[in-house]
Amino acid sequence: MNGLVVEGLRAGYGAVNVLHDVSITVGEGEFVALLGMNGNGKSTLLNAIMGFVKPSAGSIRLFWDGQSVPLAGQAPHRIVDLGIGYVPEGRRLVPNLTVEENLKLAARGRAKNDFAENLDFCFETFQILKERRRQLAGTMSGGQQQQLAIARALMTSPRIMVIDEPSVGLAPIVVDQMIATIKELQTKRRMTILMAEQSFFQAVEVASRAYVLAHGSIVHAIEHGLDAEAMETIRNAMMGVE
Amino acid sequence: MVFLDLALNALASGIALGCIYALVALGLAITFGLLHIPNVAHPALVIAGAYAVVLANMRGIDPILAALVLTLPFYAVGLAFYEFYARAFERRGRGNTLQSLTLFFGVSLIVEIALVVAFGTDLRSVSVPYVGRSFELGLIVLPYRFLVPALLAPAVILGLWLYMTRTHSGLAMRAVAHDERALSISGHDPVAIKRHAFGLATALAVLAGAALVIVGPVDPFAGRVHLGRVFAVVVLAGLGSIPGTLAAAIIIGVAEAFVTAFLSPSWAPGVAFAILLGTLALRPNGIFGTAR
Repeated sequence: MNGLVVEGLRAGYGAVNVLHDVSITVGEGEFVALLGMNGNGKSTLLNAIMGFVKPSAGSIRLFWDGQSVPLAGQAPHRIVDLGIGYVPEGRRLVPNLTVEENLKLAARGRAKNDFAENLDFCFETFQILKERRRQLAGTMSGGQQQQLAIARALMTSPRIMVIDEPSVGLAPIVVDQMIATIKELQTKRRMTILMAEQSFFQAVEVASRAYVLAHGSIVHAIEHGLDAEAMETIRNAMMGVE
Repeated sequence: MVFLDLALNALASGIALGCIYALVALGLAITFGLLHIPNVAHPALVIAGAYAVVLANMRGIDPILAALVLTLPFYAVGLAFYEFYARAFERRGRGNTLQSLTLFFGVSLIVEIALVVAFGTDLRSVSVPYVGRSFELGLIVLPYRFLVPALLAPAVILGLWLYMTRTHSGLAMRAVAHDERALSISGHDPVAIKRHAFGLATALAVLAGAALVIVGPVDPFAGRVHLGRVFAVVVLAGLGSIPGTLAAAIIIGVAEAFVTAFLSPSWAPGVAFAILLGTLALRPNGIFGTAR
């Protein structure tokens, strides 16, 4: 099966260990939500998958087309080229480049040949980016920048999209649109998505499965549909209620 | 009439001077302006470039042609040096500015001493057919040994600007100044981009060296008079602005030429900093810089 498999992951910053024995899987075509309150290790896990944080133990592997590629220990740009598209927290766009230049910049390696096709897809998905393609990224609103950050990840021809807290700093109505768009990427385009989110209700509505991180460990894995009972469990886990 | 004559010639020679300053500052606009590396060795590298051009010229090769060919080995030296710098400094906690400054002062001294050992302290120059002749237009008289290297600047800057705006690695070079992680996410290796940029900056040093040695003879320490001015040009332009580098250098060149013509040549070296301080008080990001 194609997908991303994280097993027994330990990672942290310097002497401080943040993640303890974390295991998750993301299968092709799934929308997996990673839930948890601030400071419980969501971003650290995504940063470890992307190569920005070096794991001290465990493995991160991408299984694709019959191949098993270890991601841990690779540089971030290699991981992107291997097929993990990343939408980071804070968006990390290049503010002094235009919308189109930001997108062009991401058409690298494997994604180079798909440039025209990917760009069409991005402009089709995010109309506003097409209209503003000559505008400097730094001068756009938060919601538009978030769209650009997602579009940039799409430009890398991702096999799996890793999205870190797309709702941070956005107005509620913009968040709704953003989550709906991400959901459409999965349903209409068969994209595989791993999304960290702390706004619980937003995430469970769209996700096919969910993991709950608390104090750096997976405390719940909801594997078969998010029914009312599962949602209650997740909410309690997130709130620290036993 | 004497006033007009003086003013016109000050303007013309100021613009030419500014173009040459821009060429000397261009490498630093990349290393300091885009990579934030305080490369105080750049003027010394420019002089090393000038000596390389002198050597080629002794075999009868035109200095500008020689410089164009020499950009390749200089690029390679830049790559190698950046690799050393990145391994020794940047990977251990994001490059300490004071340590880097010390390193580049050291490099500057080593380059100068190497030039002294190899060539002695005598002035070296190149011979070109147009030395001693002047371009005349009305009241303006501009020696060709001044005009030719000055014309090199806009050509090189236009080329660099096209490269930075039209090519993939040019885009990446503009991005690296703002956010390395943004580059990684876009599938680029930030270290490779910075190494390439440093190589390019070093290659530009030899073009600037050719320009300086056509203008007049150089000695191994000739870079020192440019050190303060090139930093003033880069900061005045606004860190990372390539066309701004030309404009800022011309402003400084013209101001220096006017001060030389109407006040006293002794004041000229201070002009760059007076303009810099005045501008930064009004526009903290430089003339063409954007807020960061």
